[in-house]
Amino acid sequence: MNSTVIRLTARGLLGRRRAALLLLLPAVLLLLAVVIRLLAGPDQHLTRILLGSFALGTLVPLLGLITGTGVLGPEIDDGSIVYLLAKPISRPAIVRSKLLVALLAVTAFGALPTLLAGLIMSGGAGSLAIGYGVGALVGGAAYCALFLSLSVVTRHAVVVGLLYALIWESVLGGYVPGAQKLSIQQWALSITRGLAGPAVKSAVALPVGGTLLVVLFAGATWYAGRRLRTLVLTSDE
Amino acid sequence: MPDSPPPVPAGPGVIHDIGYRHYDGPRLGRAAIVGSMFWQSLRGAYGLGRTAKSKIMPIMLLVVMCIPALIIAAVVNGLHLKSLPLPYTRYAMVLQAVIAILVAAQSPQMVSRDLRFRLTSLYFSRPLRRHDYVLAKYAAMVCALLVLLLAPLVILYGGAVLAELPLGGETWRFLRGVAGAVVFALVLAGIGLLIAAFTPRRGIGVAAVIAVLLVTYSAVTVVQGIAVDQQKMMLAGYAGVFSPFTLVDGVQVWLLHASPSTAAGPPGTTGGLVFLAVTVALAAGSFGLLVLRYRKVSIS
Amino acid sequence: MSTLALDQVSRWFGNVVAVNGITMTIGPGVTGLLGPNGAGKSTLIHLMGGFLPPSAGTVTLDGRPVWQNESIYRVIGLVPEREAMYDFLTGFELVVANAELHGLPEPGAAARRALATVEMTEAADRAVATYSKGMKQRVKMATAVVHDPAVLLLDEPFNGMDPRQRMHLMTLIDDMGREGRTVLFSSHILEEVEQIAGRIEVVVAGRHAASGDFHEIRRLMTDRPHLYLLRSSDDRALAAVLMAEGACDGVRLDPAGGGVHAQAADFTRFARLVPSLARRDGVRLYEVTPADESLESVFSYLVGS
Repeated sequence: MNSTVIRLTARGLLGRRRAALLLLLPAVLLLLAVVIRLLAGPDQHLTRILLGSFALGTLVPLLGLITGTGVLGPEIDDGSIVYLLAKPISRPAIVRSKLLVALLAVTAFGALPTLLAGLIMSGGAGSLAIGYGVGALVGGAAYCALFLSLSVVTRHAVVVGLLYALIWESVLGGYVPGAQKLSIQQWALSITRGLAGPAVKSAVALPVGGTLLVVLFAGATWYAGRRLRTLVLTSDE
Repeated sequence: MPDSPPPVPAGPGVIHDIGYRHYDGPRLGRAAIVGSMFWQSLRGAYGLGRTAKSKIMPIMLLVVMCIPALIIAAVVNGLHLKSLPLPYTRYAMVLQAVIAILVAAQSPQMVSRDLRFRLTSLYFSRPLRRHDYVLAKYAAMVCALLVLLLAPLVILYGGAVLAELPLGGETWRFLRGVAGAVVFALVLAGIGLLIAAFTPRRGIGVAAVIAVLLVTYSAVTVVQGIAVDQQKMMLAGYAGVFSPFTLVDGVQVWLLHASPSTAAGPPGTTGGLVFLAVTVALAAGSFGLLVLRYRKVSIS
Repeated sequence: MSTLALDQVSRWFGNVVAVNGITMTIGPGVTGLLGPNGAGKSTLIHLMGGFLPPSAGTVTLDGRPVWQNESIYRVIGLVPEREAMYDFLTGFELVVANAELHGLPEPGAAARRALATVEMTEAADRAVATYSKGMKQRVKMATAVVHDPAVLLLDEPFNGMDPRQRMHLMTLIDDMGREGRTVLFSSHILEEVEQIAGRIEVVVAGRHAASGDFHEIRRLMTDRPHLYLLRSSDDRALAAVLMAEGACDGVRLDPAGGGVHAQAADFTRFARLVPSLARRDGVRLYEVTPADESLESVFSYLVGS
């Protein structure tokens, strides 16, 4: 990993507009948590709904998409990646540094607010909040790695990532049971289930979910590093 | 071709008239400009007139949008059902993910590209007024969405007609679905274009639009579910204002007497009026803000 | 001393052959890569810079392959054509970041040196986004030389520069070449290349059309007649004797008395005969100039044929 790459990426990711979006999303989550707590008091069931379908199901994939594509996509798009590639740094090291920034962003804007929302809503009962927080963390990490490697492969990574997250995980997932087994969301939920108890529903068992998460994370990171070595820099589109 | 005048003999430099001519003929008016910009943007939304790769996603979305309609039509005919299992007005809500992706992906294509590559300076130095530009783009996006929204409705209607369902009632329901689709298109196009027009980068435009559409819907659904649980129907009803999809569905419920596709429709007449007012404000406001935004775009 | 060697390098994109069987060696000094737009110059520079794999052939630097070899960037500096860079940084921060990425022990000092070389020290504390086009080019140069590379590749470096900036950049490139670095820059503007390139490589439609000193290239084109302008004390007599003795193939007298335009296919014969014939017939020669030695005519001959 390279500290300069990390610094450059972090400054680039947290540019004005992207930062606004990244702050807005957890703000909505926390606002909802407070509103629901005021409406209904501390409630495990409601916590599971908010954190499961909103935080883990919508927020985390979206944050993973924004950060995963945002740390590499724009640089490839406008060609400024050449300043990183024309250096004696291994491509996997570049990928790892950028992935680290994306992970930190997803943790700060996704996992921690999820934990916080869980604490707000469940009235301090730790296991539920921690379970969803960890689930958000591992799910977010997997999404980041997946979308980062996607942005090396195609310039339309955001749209392709959206198609995966929305159509595959949500729409098809609702109607085709097999699709649920191959969904990062379900794998993350299996981890949450392990930590927070069997009330959390997940389509896969914990060992399966955990293994697949690790495999996807490592595989996507490795592939991105390999693909970056053969990246062809074209002129303006 | 008239004779070229003889070159001026005196002096070191000579410019010859080699027949270069201005165009002095009739020019089409502003309407034609707006019309051609509209048509070109609309075609571009589905990848027509562009590379083959840019056709894949919109066509795929269109196909995915229509498949359930085809299945339903087949089922109605095959099983001789007495009515459509899915009302026309609910179709858009069920498949909102597809619609959201089209809005999110194609709004930046329509407006961010022009900003990024400074084509706006080209456009605005012609007799194209800024509000003409906005009008053309807005209309194009609305029509692009209408294609997506109406295709499955037409398929459903065709299936219903084939299955010899009562024509009068079915047509009336179909027309209500069409009206709802128009409102969806107007609101979503406004939101999508407005967000996309604020950033020249395509990636973040897509992410921002989808974030707004998705997160609001998710949040509203959760709140509505909890509110219904807690017997707070008023809250559940009004919560629908905060997301474009549920907002338009509320208008469909109140104005077109459709059955609600969310946990609760707008409560009573006041609620219905609020929903309608917000819808109109959203569509008109987006258009107005777009005009303001493009007024600030410089030519140089 | 670093030498870039291309051996039968070809690169195609689908059906389009951008570079077609090019073999060339770029050694120390300033070499100009010349060719019309679309000739494959940018592709060649990308190939040499290790950003594109050759579809056929090899590209090596001192024997080491350039593709997928990150360590090569310790000795190569690249000035890309595209303008985008990390806009939010100041000029100084950008060069320092580049120095750090190269792993230099004292990035700040190296950055200051590089910025002084390109004369950007005063503007170094402003954000790159506020720079003019010429300033951005100079900062790009600074990022490329901060690690003191032995090889410098510049892709259309004079694009968009005003005459003063161009002159300054030319001096810079000239100095780099004199220090023994291998400098390659591409251009389609003849005057730029003519003034500072000791060697030129001409690429036309993906093929390597010519290489070497441009005067030499001219002489090698014996299928085209050489044009000379001679001014003397008696033009008409000179013209007559040149034709009579077969020193040249054709003469034309300038009507305003500006000399004799002689056309000779055989340069050596012409060069041998002119002084002796003039002396024999008592014609004093004032000026003998090749009329078309400039790169312009080389270029247009090459492009035309």
